[in-house]
Amino acid sequence: MIKIDPQSAESTALASQFKAAPFGPYSADLQKLLQLLRWGFVRGRTIIICTKPYREWRLGRMAPKRGLPVEVSETEVFTDYGAAVWACFRARWQEVVGQPCPVK
Amino acid sequence: MSERILGYSDRLSAVPGDAVSFKISAPLPGKFKARLVRLICGDDSPEGPGFKSKNIDSEIDGTYPARHQPILAGSYVWVTARQPFDLPNFTVQAMVWPTLPGNGKPQCILGNYDAATGSGYALYINEQGCLAFRAGKNPPVSTGVKMLARHWYEVYAIYDSGTGRVVVGQNMMLAYHGMQQSISETQMLAEPVGEGGRFLIAAWNDDKLATAHFNGKIDSPRVSGRALKPAEIERLRDLPLDVELAQYVVAAWDFSRGMSTVKVTDVSGNRYHGRSINLPTRAMTGWNWDSSDFSWQSKPEQYGAIHFHDDDLYDCGWRTDFTLTVPTDLKSGVYCVHVWQKTPTGKIEDYIPFFVRPARGTATAPLALLIPTASYLAYANQQMVSSWWFDELSSCKFATMSSVDQYLEEHEGFGLSVYDEHSDGSGVCYSSHLRPILNMRPKTDLWQFNADTHLTDWLEKKKIPYDVITDDDLHAEGVDVLRPYRCVMTGTHPEYYSKAMLDALQAYTNGGGRLMYMGANGFYWRIAYHAGLPGVIEHRRAEDGMRAWFSEAGEYFMSFTGEMSGLWVRNGRPPNMLVGNAFAAQGFVNSVPYHRTPESQDPRVSFMFDGIGLDEVIGDFGTVGGGAAGWEIDRADTRLGTPPHALIVAAATDFPDSYHWVNEEMNHTHSAVNGDTNPRVRCDMMFFETPNGGAVFSTGSISYGGSLAHDGYKNNVSRLTENVVKRFVDPTPF
Repeated sequence: MIKIDPQSAESTALASQFKAAPFGPYSADLQKLLQLLRWGFVRGRTIIICTKPYREWRLGRMAPKRGLPVEVSETEVFTDYGAAVWACFRARWQEVVGQPCPVK
Repeated sequence: MSERILGYSDRLSAVPGDAVSFKISAPLPGKFKARLVRLICGDDSPEGPGFKSKNIDSEIDGTYPARHQPILAGSYVWVTARQPFDLPNFTVQAMVWPTLPGNGKPQCILGNYDAATGSGYALYINEQGCLAFRAGKNPPVSTGVKMLARHWYEVYAIYDSGTGRVVVGQNMMLAYHGMQQSISETQMLAEPVGEGGRFLIAAWNDDKLATAHFNGKIDSPRVSGRALKPAEIERLRDLPLDVELAQYVVAAWDFSRGMSTVKVTDVSGNRYHGRSINLPTRAMTGWNWDSSDFSWQSKPEQYGAIHFHDDDLYDCGWRTDFTLTVPTDLKSGVYCVHVWQKTPTGKIEDYIPFFVRPARGTATAPLALLIPTASYLAYANQQMVSSWWFDELSSCKFATMSSVDQYLEEHEGFGLSVYDEHSDGSGVCYSSHLRPILNMRPKTDLWQFNADTHLTDWLEKKKIPYDVITDDDLHAEGVDVLRPYRCVMTGTHPEYYSKAMLDALQAYTNGGGRLMYMGANGFYWRIAYHAGLPGVIEHRRAEDGMRAWFSEAGEYFMSFTGEMSGLWVRNGRPPNMLVGNAFAAQGFVNSVPYHRTPESQDPRVSFMFDGIGLDEVIGDFGTVGGGAAGWEIDRADTRLGTPPHALIVAAATDFPDSYHWVNEEMNHTHSAVNGDTNPRVRCDMMFFETPNGGAVFSTGSISYGGSLAHDGYKNNVSRLTENVVKRFVDPTPF
């Protein structure tokens, strides 16, 4: 299985590619990187919460099980969905790779 | 997350004169208001046509007292006789297949225990997942050994009031090396058992409520009025009951009887029958299923299990707040009851949809819009964002929760969809409309109901008269409900079909009717309606197709009717036969336009392309993905039943990697499965004639409806559709 190498120039280039076009089209290598970030249940991992329809998004996380409040960020508010998607990408990178995404 | 005002109606489809009852739960104290509206468009997105409704003065307009109405989820069996189970000496036993032992909650197997009074007895699985027994105010007695999930156990408790002893034991039906197959624990009980409450299976009482819901299968429960010996337990496993011990048996329930009902039958001779509450899943393989047959009708004795879930829900049972008698002059269409409560910052509101037909046997327009209520139910309150481990890999997007998703995540008890797994990981088979359905609403995601309002919006804008009929009517009344119409238009996603519905639509087109299939992934899954219970469908995922969960082996046949479920193509009725194309792929990042094919120049379809140039790109716009071909797409294939004379009049082939080929076409895994390298990932717009002067038009795309309103409804998708409608309502035979 491939791994994301956080030190490599290739990984940085792929993150930059995603930031530039969060809705694609994605190169084959970026598709693979996204698959690694998206495998498995999202419970307990950073996701996007739409807090005002069509207008506002925040990052958040579901509780360990159903029936409990969803944790929603109080600090960062996005009025552009693409910006929220990029922020989620960075948060997932941190969760999966264990280090911050090199591209801000 | 703020509270919501919620409601549902007792029926989805009504004719003039029918009474439709509405049940509302209003969270804020005081009052709520209600009115009736005709819904034209539910899409309130900034790029969409806008939310449009028309107020209709009615008898229900007004102000009502607000009250909260609870939802009590969790299935169980209630045995209506009570006194016979108040026994001085007794043995309770069953076969169990627990699915969530040790979930931190007690899970009752059977008994009359009442937690409110601390009286009665129950055999149960305790918070740590060990078999246990409690009676009266005595400390519970437990084996202390955690049970394995998804394994069959014979479990029992034997109580002798003379000695004051209880024996609690289990026999594991599958022997593992190094594990004790039979264990038991014996204790003295100092306190009296007490009277208890109702005798329940898979729950115990808490005054009038049922709690301690069991998750898993229970098979062959028995109650005897004597303290049997442990060695005698297995003699009562099978039916007919052991001749010598039968005299002591108070009740022996055979869950394989009345499979299609809510009745639970006692075969002891005492007739202490029960009824199931909240539709636990029947037609489940029992402890003795040996894989010799997959149909419960052939070997019912191997299907004696019911699978109970703590999140099963059939009927909320709310009290009615008001009833609308559909006025005789109310035009057929999509309606909502709008309810709301004022808040300091605005209001909270709900729109509860229902569908008004013309009087039976009549039509007030040449065109009928066939509302896919069965498909709305299939998706009702879906929670794929948490249910699907592969959700982001399928959508190719980071999960984004809407307010509906968030509300359902935070508030348990609204029931699930057939896209979900229960809390114990088993697939959801039943979906009912006797509960608030938060995603069958305007002002929600453009999917199913709300996407279909793009069609009502367009029809209203173009002043094309239409009647509204539903799947519920199609199933109940067959082709008779279609015959009055020259043309029938489907919704954007008519995915779930019963045999009666499919037969009716096929008979309609064979008989000269004109069908406009305005979506994709249609006619895909086989369902059943219940013969006796209103408002519920059943579906089993069986073993192929783009399915949300796996059916267990032996559980592909539906309990409501005994029919095989799963895909219609695997039931010998591929959608291609009815509409020319069938589900080919899906993707949710973007949609694409169609291009005309050389076949589009055939004189048979010149009517369709009137005003549309040969090289025109059709539908490179739209609110559903930015194109007319997308989300889920269908493709023609004569090997799968596309009629040989059918024309592919336009096609979309430029799909990216995020479009995934349907797995039922993959007899074997291989590497070219996405839109960028697989030629079978394509969308075909179809036309063909049917016998007796009929015809079929298929868009093959769920996104298509989202392109109709573009540029003030002046666009080539709208033009093409209008051309088809004009020709299809014209009685001149094809």
